[in-house]
Amino acid sequence: MTPRAWTLIAIGAIGDIGVGTGGGTPDRTLRTPCASRGRRSRKRAVWTGLAALVAIIGLATDPAGAHGIAGRRFFPATLAIEDPFVADELALPSFSYIKGPEGKETSIGGEFQKSITPNLGVSIGGEYVILDPAESEAGSTSGFANPEVGVKYTFFRSDAHETILTLAFDWEIGGVGKEAVGASSSSSVAPSLLFGQGLGDLPDALAFLRPLAVTGVFGAEIPFANDAAIALTYGIAIEYSLAYLQNVVRDVGLPRFVSQLVPVVELLFETPIEGEEKWKTTGTVNPGLIWAGKYVEVGVEAIIPINQRTGKDVGVRALLHFFLDDLWPTVFRPVFQ
Amino acid sequence: MALRGAVRRRIMIAVCAAALLGTGARVASAHAFPERAEPRVGAVVRGAPPVVRIWFDGELEPAFCQVVVSDGVGRRVDQGDARVDAGNRRLLQVSVPALQPGTYSVHWAVLSIDGHRTTGDYRFTVKGSE
Repeated sequence: MTPRAWTLIAIGAIGDIGVGTGGGTPDRTLRTPCASRGRRSRKRAVWTGLAALVAIIGLATDPAGAHGIAGRRFFPATLAIEDPFVADELALPSFSYIKGPEGKETSIGGEFQKSITPNLGVSIGGEYVILDPAESEAGSTSGFANPEVGVKYTFFRSDAHETILTLAFDWEIGGVGKEAVGASSSSSVAPSLLFGQGLGDLPDALAFLRPLAVTGVFGAEIPFANDAAIALTYGIAIEYSLAYLQNVVRDVGLPRFVSQLVPVVELLFETPIEGEEKWKTTGTVNPGLIWAGKYVEVGVEAIIPINQRTGKDVGVRALLHFFLDDLWPTVFRPVFQ
Repeated sequence: MALRGAVRRRIMIAVCAAALLGTGARVASAHAFPERAEPRVGAVVRGAPPVVRIWFDGELEPAFCQVVVSDGVGRRVDQGDARVDAGNRRLLQVSVPALQPGTYSVHWAVLSIDGHRTTGDYRFTVKGSE
């Protein structure tokens, strides 16, 4: 037995140690500037929400489990929607290109996530944005968007039913990025509920649907600026794991490389609930393919706008993602087990 | 659209760093997932297999690996000698007696040598000789 294994036994962590996967950088292509609300009351609401989140974290029991895995289900990191797992991982680079009503937008970004405990993690991310306005007389511009930091806490996990529930709180740090590429001079926060659910409990008659899983997000983006609107952000990712098909349902003879593919469709929406754009939803449908290896994941998706307000041309999104706790398990692991 | 030189350099540095991370992948062992099993997952086999074997994509920690075979009503039927093969630490196996026709479940739990735990299960069916 290796010393590492003995250490794990000594700290009682056998049940908690887990896999690395998790979130790509969240989609930032849907922001819609709008109008107003009192800054003080908004901040108060935000801090009240944050306090409630901390209270829940403090009160919730500490479920055993592994990030990226719920029972026999492995959830890959999704490209558009933040996924519900706490992990040590690096999304670098993430890339997106889409042509909207106001012009072409190219984004190159990255995100680093670090687990503090098996269920509590923090993250920091940023992106470089290149804008090419539709109006020909206006020249292209580029620069960094505001950085974003976040905290994520998994408060429920059922290995038997392939379920996971996580609370997330992201903070876009205003005034850091370049305003010309859309970076706000003031901050915003985004509390959200993230979930993952595998369909492994389906009856035998639907066995070939068991590889399906759904992850999703429901949250809000709350800007501190008076001239920006609060917006609901919500979406789901529907994925079909060929590895699950091969290893749990039926060995259909797929080559190893093929069995690591995960066809996925992500749907992501944003609906302002105040201001001039109130209830005018924007969103994208993102069909694509993820390949998840032992240490690295690669994904590519089309970005299809759902309406004219979002855009009319198909874009593309791609991600290179590293499972750091698998690459260097002695370095990238929870600070506290 | 052309990127500025400095930006392009930063992106190249990031991509190179990412490539180095990928190269480093070979030194670790990571989580162990099944590559194949015998009897095969979901298979219908004629005649009882003497041993149930699962091959993983990484080496296993023998002291913390388990595989159990149960019949259709959940009764354990394996010989209780689950073991990681001494000559191939990616192979987990357990002996089973002469199985009657029916559907059997295989539940496994393994610890990779770097301490990552994974679990899983699958079924196979033994068909009676005709």
